[in-house]
Amino acid sequence: MFHGIDPRSPIPLYVQIAERVRLAIATGTLGSAAPLPSVRQLAAELRINPATVIQAYKDLEAQGFVEIRHGAGTFVRELAPGRRARERSQQAVALVRKLLADARRSGVSLAELQRALETELGARTT
Amino acid sequence: MNDAIHIERLHYRAGKNFAIKELDLHVPTGAIYGFLGPNGSGKTTTIRLILGLLRPLSGRITVLGLPMPEQHARILGQIGYVPEQPHLDTTLTVRELIDFQAAFYPRWDRARAAELIKRFELDGEHLFGRLSKGQKAKLMILLALSQCGDLLVLDEPTDGLDPVVRRDILSALITYVSERGATIFISSHLVHELERVCDWIAVMDDGRLITEAPMEKLKHGTKRLVVMGAPAEIVNPPFRVLTRESANGGGAGENWVVGDWEPGMTSYFEGVGASVREVIDLDLEEGFVELLRSFREGRSRR
Repeated sequence: MFHGIDPRSPIPLYVQIAERVRLAIATGTLGSAAPLPSVRQLAAELRINPATVIQAYKDLEAQGFVEIRHGAGTFVRELAPGRRARERSQQAVALVRKLLADARRSGVSLAELQRALETELGARTT
Repeated sequence: MNDAIHIERLHYRAGKNFAIKELDLHVPTGAIYGFLGPNGSGKTTTIRLILGLLRPLSGRITVLGLPMPEQHARILGQIGYVPEQPHLDTTLTVRELIDFQAAFYPRWDRARAAELIKRFELDGEHLFGRLSKGQKAKLMILLALSQCGDLLVLDEPTDGLDPVVRRDILSALITYVSERGATIFISSHLVHELERVCDWIAVMDDGRLITEAPMEKLKHGTKRLVVMGAPAEIVNPPFRVLTRESANGGGAGENWVVGDWEPGMTSYFEGVGASVREVIDLDLEEGFVELLRSFREGRSRR
């Protein structure tokens, strides 16, 4: 779930971690009541500051995705119907925005991008 | 919140060529504080001053609330220190060194020492002198963590070690911090390692502090700008200009590196008839290099 977290990225680490958890919840990898790794465990595994993990979990709690039960751990909350789907479409929008920004930066035109996308999708479905 | 280490206007001189000048440091309690600087910049000397092993010419050093070096006998028991070079007796075994060290520390944590021996895959019967560089480093960390200090002072603890050993050592440090909430002061020039774990960063060069800031602030406040039509003289900008040079290929474009940048500051350029064409993020290493370059250029110009 946390593969490829990038400390050199301008996106703060706690934001990256929270995003990964949100994605896992949106896609159902983390179901309702599923436990998140403990702060200690995740910090040691990623070799990052425990405070960074705490910050990520607190943000997720404020957004209503998880519940922090002191002494017990952090657990995924029951989500309102449709929220997972909504979260997935937001993730899709974010992915497309990133793709468009990358394309713009490397000088790839929209038409070229669209053609490549169609070719890839075609290759996948056949 | 009290600072775990607090240094004010510290001066120190060693011989003719090296001095620490006007040093101010504030290491907040509970922080993982990264101390960066090139070789010879004064990192190890500063650490020795913090530990009360050297006497400053002037200035004040407070560690865990007590003045150094006056109280160093009382404070050293609460500090886990890992020096740059291991200084242990090479003719003793790992087990003997652990028992020897344990005798000096009333808070010694036997369970932690036993756990770390296993985790680090050390053999208690091996002679220290026969250990590999990585095993020596792991033992030093084991000793520092088992004394259960409130402050860990680590002088380049992972320098010259292979990635697997570095990873084991960092994980052990992080586990310790999450369990005990200790403060870690860690000097290194492995910028990427510090970028992962630290929440505060200080940069030193030539005996002076160049910057001290929370990691996020330093990382997100240092940017490369592509500026068009900037006037030669810039008056009171809200950010810090670190370097400024004409872009490749000439034209009106210039590359700037700025510190203390915040979103929205591009409006400053509009106010002076210039424009910012691009704002580029820098990672910690790039920011570190630019800070050093600007500091050195500033000195040679004076």
